[in-house]
Amino acid sequence: MIRLTGLSKRYGDRLALDDLTLDVRPGAVTGFLGPNGAGKSTTMRLILGLDRPTAGAALVGGVPYRRIRNPLRTVGALLDARALHPARTGHAHLVALARSNGIPRKRVGEVLETVGLAGAAHRRAGALSLGMSQRLGIAAALLGDPEVLLFDEPVNGLDPDGVRWVRGLMRSLAGEGRTVFVSSHLMSEMQLTADHLVVIGKGRLIADAPLAEVIAGSSLTAVVVRTPHARELAALLRAAGVEVTRSGENELVTTGAPVERVGDLAYEAGVRLHGLRVREASLEQAYHELTEGDVEYGAGRRGA
Amino acid sequence: MSATTGQDVGGVRVLWQAAGAEWAKLWSVRSTWWCLAGAFALMVLAAVTLGGASATEALRPAGPSSAAPVPASEAAVSATSFAQFALVALAMLTITAEYASGSIRVTLQAVPVRGVMLAAKALVLAPVMAATGVLSGAAATAAVYALLSLDVFGGLVVLPMGEVVRDLAGVGVYFALIAVLTLGAGAALRSAAGTLTVVFMLLMGLPLLLMMTGSGPAVAMSLRMPLFAGLAFMGSADNMTGGPIPYSAGEGLAWLLAWTAASLATGHAVLRRRDA
Repeated sequence: MIRLTGLSKRYGDRLALDDLTLDVRPGAVTGFLGPNGAGKSTTMRLILGLDRPTAGAALVGGVPYRRIRNPLRTVGALLDARALHPARTGHAHLVALARSNGIPRKRVGEVLETVGLAGAAHRRAGALSLGMSQRLGIAAALLGDPEVLLFDEPVNGLDPDGVRWVRGLMRSLAGEGRTVFVSSHLMSEMQLTADHLVVIGKGRLIADAPLAEVIAGSSLTAVVVRTPHARELAALLRAAGVEVTRSGENELVTTGAPVERVGDLAYEAGVRLHGLRVREASLEQAYHELTEGDVEYGAGRRGA
Repeated sequence: MSATTGQDVGGVRVLWQAAGAEWAKLWSVRSTWWCLAGAFALMVLAAVTLGGASATEALRPAGPSSAAPVPASEAAVSATSFAQFALVALAMLTITAEYASGSIRVTLQAVPVRGVMLAAKALVLAPVMAATGVLSGAAATAAVYALLSLDVFGGLVVLPMGEVVRDLAGVGVYFALIAVLTLGAGAALRSAAGTLTVVFMLLMGLPLLLMMTGSGPAVAMSLRMPLFAGLAFMGSADNMTGGPIPYSAGEGLAWLLAWTAASLATGHAVLRRRDA
C-alpha cells in the first residue's frame, strides 16, 4: 500500500503538489489522472524517494522509500522508458538492476520473456523503439516481483496489441493482490483498466473514488425513458425535482435521479413504460467535468 | 530482517550488491574500453616522448645532469599528468552519463541511499583504475627502457626492480584517487562539460597558473594541489618547475587523500540535498 499524507512539493516558486493525502490500496488498479503539469510525475518521484517532499510524507508499506532494503523487490516502477544508457543492452541493464537488489539472474530472462522482448534483449537500448523501451521498462519494474507497482504513462508508444497487453497485465497484477498505481491521459484506456481513480489538478486532489462512482457522479450520466405518455411523465418527474429533457416523440432523458427512482415514480403514477435504461457518461466526459472545474473544486474535495 | 532502520539499508551486503551492479554497468558499455585503451596509449606515448626528450637533453655536451642513468619508470610517472585525463573521462562518465540519459533515477530506485550509490561507484572505479595504472605504467616503462637502451642513448637508462615496483604502485594509487576525485565532482556537478572543466582546472589549469604567478603563497598552494601532490607521492624528481617539491611522498599522499575526500564529500552532500 502507498500512503501519502499532506504531501507537498515546491520547485522554486511553483507549488507542484499541494497537500495531497490519499491511500493507494492493494488488489486494485488505481488510475492516476490529471492534466499535464498537474503533479502526477512529481507524486511518483516523491513516492520513489527521488525528490524530497517540501512537506508531508510518502510511505510505501509504512516506510519511506529510502528505508526499504532491496527496494526493487518491494516496489517496481516505470517512470521514463527512455531513461537508459543508449550504449547498454536491455539485457545488461536488467542484469545490473538484478545484482543491485540480490535478485536471481534467471529473473532477467523470465521478465524479458514476459514482456515479449527476449528477441531484442541484446540490442543497444539506443536502437530500441519507444514501444520496445516501454516493454523494457515494464520488465525492469517486474524484475523484483514487487508488491507495489507504479507506471507513469505505460502505454506511450505502444501499438494497439501492446496497449491491450498492458491492460491485461495491470488487471492480472491487481488480481494477484498487488498495488497498481498507473498514470495515463488515455481516458478510454483507463476506463477499461482502472478500478479506482485518483484525479489531481494543479497539484491538488480533485477526486479519489471508485471508477463507477466517478462516472455515476457525472452530470452526463442520465436515465433514458421510453414511454407513449412522454408529456405526462415529464410533468410528473419535474414535479418530483428531476431534470427532464424530451429527446423524441416517446423519449425523455432525465438527470439528477437514479434509475430506480425514475422507474418507481412512473410505476406509482401508473405510467406505461416501454424502456428504461441508464446512459453512462464516458470517463472522458466525467474527467473533463472534474478538471474544468479545477479552480472551483480546488477548495473542496469530492469523494472519500 | 526488518526494513525499518537506516543501518539495514546501508549495510555491507547492500554496498556489495550495489558495487556488483556498478561493475556490471561499467563493463557493459563500449566507452569503458575506449577510455582504458586511451589511457594505455597516452601513458606509453607520453612516457616515450618525455623519456626520449630528457635523454636527448642529457646527451648534449652542456646538458644538465651529465649522463646519470635514469630509472625507466620515472618517465612513466611523469606521463601520468597527461594520461590521467583518459581516466578522468571514464570516471566522469560513470555518473554524468547517467544524469545525461536520466538513468540515474533508475539507479537510485535500485539503490536509494545516496552514500551507498556513490560508495559503490568508487569501490568499482578504484581497483579498476589502480590496475590500469600498474599495467599501463609497466607498458610505458618497458617502452621507455627499450627506446633508451638503443645505442644512441647508450647507458642512460636503468631498470632497478625495487624502484620500478614502487613507482608502478604509486601510479596505480594515484589513478585510483584521481578517479574517485572525479566521481565526487561528477556527483556534485552532474554535467559532463562542467565536470571535465572543473577537474581539468583542478588537476592541470590552476596549479600551472598559480605556479606561473611566481608569488610565494600561490606557488605553495599550487604545490599542494593534486598534480604536484601526486608527483611528490610517486617520487618524481620532475616538478615541472626545476625546484624540488618541498615535502615527502607521505605528505603528498596525504594531500591527495584530502582532495579526494573533499570532492567525494561535496558530491555526497549535493546528492543528498538535491532532487534526483
